[in-house]
Amino acid sequence: MSQKRHRLVPQTLGLKRRRERGPVDADALRGESGSARAAVAELVRLFPRGLFEDALPPIALRSQVYSLVPDRTAADRQLKELQEQGEIRVIQLGFDLDAHGIIFTEDYTTRVLKACDGRPCAGAVQRFLASVLPACGDLSFQQDQMTQTFGFRDSEITHLVNAGVLTVRDVGSWWLAVPGAGRFIKYFVKGRQAVLGMVRKAKYREVLLSELLGRRAPAAVRLGLAYHVHDLIGAQLVDCISTTSGTVLRLPET
Amino acid sequence: MLGFLSARQAGLEDPRRFRRAESTRRVLGLELNKDRDVERIHSSGVNTLDIEPVERRYMLSGGSDGVIVLYDLENSSRQPYYTCKAVCSVGRNHPDVHKYSVETVQWYPHDTGMFTSSSFDKTLKVWDTNTLQTADVFNFEETVYSHHMSPVATKHCLVAVGTRGPKVQLCDLKSGSCSHILQGHKQEILAVSWSPRYDHILATASADSRVKLWDVRRASGCLITLDQNNGEKSQAAESANGKVNGLCFTSDGLHLLTVGTDNRMRLWNSSSGENTLVNYGKVCNNSKKGLKFTVSCGCSSEFVFVPYGSTIAVYTVYSGEQITMLKGHYKSVDCCVFQSNFQELYSGSRDCNILAWVPSLYEPLPEEDETKTKSRLNPAFEDAWSSSDEEG
Repeated sequence: MSQKRHRLVPQTLGLKRRRERGPVDADALRGESGSARAAVAELVRLFPRGLFEDALPPIALRSQVYSLVPDRTAADRQLKELQEQGEIRVIQLGFDLDAHGIIFTEDYTTRVLKACDGRPCAGAVQRFLASVLPACGDLSFQQDQMTQTFGFRDSEITHLVNAGVLTVRDVGSWWLAVPGAGRFIKYFVKGRQAVLGMVRKAKYREVLLSELLGRRAPAAVRLGLAYHVHDLIGAQLVDCISTTSGTVLRLPET
Repeated sequence: MLGFLSARQAGLEDPRRFRRAESTRRVLGLELNKDRDVERIHSSGVNTLDIEPVERRYMLSGGSDGVIVLYDLENSSRQPYYTCKAVCSVGRNHPDVHKYSVETVQWYPHDTGMFTSSSFDKTLKVWDTNTLQTADVFNFEETVYSHHMSPVATKHCLVAVGTRGPKVQLCDLKSGSCSHILQGHKQEILAVSWSPRYDHILATASADSRVKLWDVRRASGCLITLDQNNGEKSQAAESANGKVNGLCFTSDGLHLLTVGTDNRMRLWNSSSGENTLVNYGKVCNNSKKGLKFTVSCGCSSEFVFVPYGSTIAVYTVYSGEQITMLKGHYKSVDCCVFQSNFQELYSGSRDCNILAWVPSLYEPLPEEDETKTKSRLNPAFEDAWSSSDEEG
């Protein structure tokens, strides 16, 4: 520990950033240290499309991006830029105030249109996707914003809620939502608890990352072990410790 | 370092740059040192610590049993091994001792002749250090969680007091009574802090998840309520998702750090109230009352030392990177203070200990000369015979 600390000693006033510890862990998970965009693209590949019969767009989580991009402030900034450019949408997943889902905008629009095809709410949804989404990159929408700025009537807003595009948050405000995401959230929460349980039951409450990924996923884990492990690391629900045998995931003491 | 010294000598480098680089290097080397100890006087948890700003030599500590102890931090013995002794203390048998736990102590910012202490027994006491008597007592209707006196104020002697009620009270030391009340919070005030840059700016943090910045000269309400979403959510601005426990201005007063029970630490621009969105990760906070954390001073990139369970987490302030966790206490850490002259950190915890974290940069040299002088006996006790084979 002391050797690593002495490497932090700056040579000049400009405090030399902690030198990257080199690709010591050649694990499958830690290869990516680039931008947030590349991280989201890689996470989206991990998402099991077949499980939802391609009706759901591939969702990545913000905590997963943190596990791939170690500097959280930079990751936040890059995600915000992507959000402002309109490339990704950030969705509030209901179970945790901090858990934000990240979806590529084109995936989102194609899936939503496919989901509401032929139903009576199609018109309102198409208008919403065409006018509101490009204009407003937020997670939530307010009553006066919808009625005055974008000219939606109450009946149309009801159509949107029925189609699953908006979820009620409060009187007069709505979250942006993904239609059919309820199943995903259920699998996600169950899977997260199951993977945490796997670490908890291990001796000394720690498990080698490569060994964990190699295990057979229990039935509750439908989204894949790698998907959940990224999320646990990024949400700091497990501590990631590098050892001579590789990365070890350990439950924090508190 | 030698390069810096010669550059400074030749005039190529500003002397302050060298000082800041060396301070940063020392802070990065903070660890527990077997040579430095603080005398253990408290018999229950240490709630608060404060080092006087004039010489940075004396430290006050307040404990859960109402005891206040004054330590001398300076090492005047020639030995490397040194215990910071308690100079005096306000013990349980003192007539004016607080009845319940002392939550905050603070030295008078301009000299060490006076200090203030506030406690759960609903009082704020002003003490004279030399005689250890109370010079004044302010009584409140609710338990006092925190108080602070402005470190830069010359025109006023106001002490801001945060109690269980939603009103912030400003007590004037000159007149001996409460002069102002600041209204705006809805629940108990857990932390108050004056800005080290302007003597009229006060920040208060409350259990209703809001942090407010006040200008005490104005009659109307607060200046800004810090909004964690920078105005994106149009609902009532909230600074955190839980109670806001601790406040600390950076030493230049331009930024404000807040910690809350939602396990997050946030950095705010103190003039505009904007959330700088620096992400420190999860900063565990289970404290039901205030958490006292501190920022380093005089380093090239400032560090914040936050009590994290039974360890102290060290982050760089402006980039959010976690540098290290200082492990040493047995139970949860309640408070920490930074001594900027020697880049030392003192922390007090519920296990009744105060630990000193000292920069350790070099291996201690083997002290051969000292052992020889110590073992030289009085000539009267020396043996007259030699241990070699030859006679004589």
